[in-house]
Amino acid sequence: MFKVLKGVGGERAFNGATISALALLVLFFVGIVVSLFTYTDWNTFMSALLSEEILFAIKLTVATATVATIVSILIAIPVAYAISQTEFPGKDIVDSMLDLPIVISPIALGACLLVFFNTPVGAGVDDNIMKFVFAVPGIILAQITVISALAIRLLKSTFDSIDPRYEQVGRTLGCSKPEAFLKVTLPLAKDGLIAAGILTWARAVGEFGATVTLAGATAMKTETLPIAIFLSLASADVEKAIAVIFVLVIIAVVALIAIRKITGRRYPI
Amino acid sequence: MIEIKNLSIDLGDFFLRNINLTIGDREYFVILGPTGAGKTVLIECVAGLHRIKQGEIWIDGNNATRLAPEERSIGYVPQDYVLFPFLNVADNIAFGLKQAKYSKTDTGEKVKTLADLMGISHLLHRDTRSLSGGEKQRVALARALALSPKVLLLDEPLSSLDLQTSKYLRLELRRVHKELGVTTIHITHNQVEAEEVADRIGILNMGSLEQVGKPEKVFFYPESKIVADFTGAPNILDCDYCRTVGQGLTEVSCGGLRIILPHDGDRVQRIALFPRDIYISNAQPPGPQVNRFKGTITNIKSFGATVRLEVKVGENTLQAEMPHDIFEDMNLTVGKEVFLILKLRRIRVFEDKDSR
Repeated sequence: MFKVLKGVGGERAFNGATISALALLVLFFVGIVVSLFTYTDWNTFMSALLSEEILFAIKLTVATATVATIVSILIAIPVAYAISQTEFPGKDIVDSMLDLPIVISPIALGACLLVFFNTPVGAGVDDNIMKFVFAVPGIILAQITVISALAIRLLKSTFDSIDPRYEQVGRTLGCSKPEAFLKVTLPLAKDGLIAAGILTWARAVGEFGATVTLAGATAMKTETLPIAIFLSLASADVEKAIAVIFVLVIIAVVALIAIRKITGRRYPI
Repeated sequence: MIEIKNLSIDLGDFFLRNINLTIGDREYFVILGPTGAGKTVLIECVAGLHRIKQGEIWIDGNNATRLAPEERSIGYVPQDYVLFPFLNVADNIAFGLKQAKYSKTDTGEKVKTLADLMGISHLLHRDTRSLSGGEKQRVALARALALSPKVLLLDEPLSSLDLQTSKYLRLELRRVHKELGVTTIHITHNQVEAEEVADRIGILNMGSLEQVGKPEKVFFYPESKIVADFTGAPNILDCDYCRTVGQGLTEVSCGGLRIILPHDGDRVQRIALFPRDIYISNAQPPGPQVNRFKGTITNIKSFGATVRLEVKVGENTLQAEMPHDIFEDMNLTVGKEVFLILKLRRIRVFEDKDSR
C-alpha cells in the first residue's frame, strides 16, 4: 500500500489526509458552539446572564480561582526550581508523583480530600481552624489540589530553559544564592510565570469534579460557573446553562490569546 | 595572586587531576587546551562554582576554597557572555554596583568610565539582544570589571567572534589589562590567540597541566609530545652558531644546515618552522641556494587531505607537509632524494634575552 503513495501524489494524499482531520475537528468544535445559538435568543440569554445567581457564580469563580492560582504559583515556584535545578536522591520518583494530580480524575482527588476531612486530623482542622467541607475555602482547596501540579509542570519547563550560568554570573557580581534567584532567575522566568499563571487560572475557573465533591453544589453558596451549569441542567434550565457556557468559552479564548502573545515574545535563552 | 594547590575534581565528563599553579599579581595567564580538557572547570573552580573536595585555592593570600562566588572578588565572563536580557547595556554594567549599594551618582560615573574604557558609550541604552558579538563581549567585560575585582576570569572570550573582531579584541584585552592591571585567567583552545595575549601559558590536557611557561618557551621547548602537537608540531632546531649579516638578516647553523633568517640579533638559540612552511621539489630549484637543502625521504604518513613527509637533511630530520593530490603527482617514495625550500618569513626564532 505504501508503494502506491510514493512520489508527489503520495505527498499530496498525506497532506490532504492530515488537513482533512484538522478541518473535521475544527468543524466539530465550531458546530457545537453554533448549536448553542440555535437554542436561545438574545433577550433570554441576557436575562439569564444578568440574573443574580449567575453574577454570584461569576464573582465567586473569579475570586476563588484567583486566590487558588496565587497560592499554587507561590507553592510551585520553589518546588519547580528544586526539581529543575537541584539533584537529590529519588528525584525521578518525586517528579512523577507530582504529576499524579494531572492524570487522576479530579472527582477522585475531591473524594480523597473529603475522606481526609473525615479523619480525626482533618475533622480537627475543619472544625477548629477553617471550614473546608461544603464551604468556600473548600472550593479554593479543591482548585489548588488540581492546578498546583499543572503550575509546577509549566514552571519547571520555564526553569529548565534558563541557563544556570545567568545565576552564576549574578553570584560573581555579588548576589547571594537567594538574591541571584530573585534578581536574575525570576526576571528571566517572568513570561513563563505569567503564562503559567494564566493557564492555571483558566484551569481553576473550569474546575468541577474536585470542587463539587468537597464543597458541594449549593446554589448561591458554593456555586462556581461549572457548578452553575450542572445545577441549571439538573433543573432543565438550558438557557441559563448556555449563558454560563458562553462566559467560560470567552474566558478560555481570552486566556489562550494572552498566552500566545506572551510566549511569542519570550527571551531567546 | 592566585595559588591552586593539588586541586582535583571529578564532574563525570570533565575532571581535573592534581593541578598546582601559581599566577602572579597583575599577570595575564592563558590556559590553553583542546575541547574537553577541563579548562572551563578550572576557572569555574577559581570562581567558586564547584564544591572542592580535594585541594585548595588561595586568592591574594586568603584561602578561598570554601568561599561562595560572591565572597571572592572575581570578575567572570562566561562563554557567550550571558548578558541579562531583561536589562539594557547600562543596567547590565551597573548590576554589580547596585548590588554593592553604590550611590546612584557613583554608579552612573563608574558605568560611564567603564563604557569609555571599552568604547561602548554609544550603546548604553541599547537592548543587549540587539548587540553584535564584539559589542556583547565588551559589555560583559565592563560588567565583570565594574566592582574592580582582584581576578578576572575569561572563558573562551573570543571563540564565537569572527576572525577580524577576534584579532582586534585580543589587542583590546591586552590594553585593558595594562590599564587596570587586574590578574587575569583567560582560557582558549586557540594557540595563536594564547601566544598573542599571554604573559604565561599553561597547557591543559585531559585534566592535567602538561606545561607552564612563557609562550615562546612553551613553543620552542615543549616538554611532551602532547604540547608539541598542540602548538602545531613545528620542526624545532637547535642552533650551534649564529651571526648577524646585516640588513636585518641573521645566519644560523643548525646541525650542519646553514639558514638565513629575517632577524636582528646574534643570540638565536632555537628556530622553528611549521611542516606546512617547507616546500618539497623533485628538481633542484633555480635561483640562489639560500635556505634550500637536499635530503632523503625517510617516512611518509597520510592524514586524509594532507601527507606528512620526514626528510633527513644532514644530521636533522625535518617534517614537511603537502596536499595529498600534489604528493600523488610528484611520485614520492621512501628513500627518494628531494629538495627542501624553507619559507624564509615563516621561520620563528627563540633568542635567550636573559643571558645577555
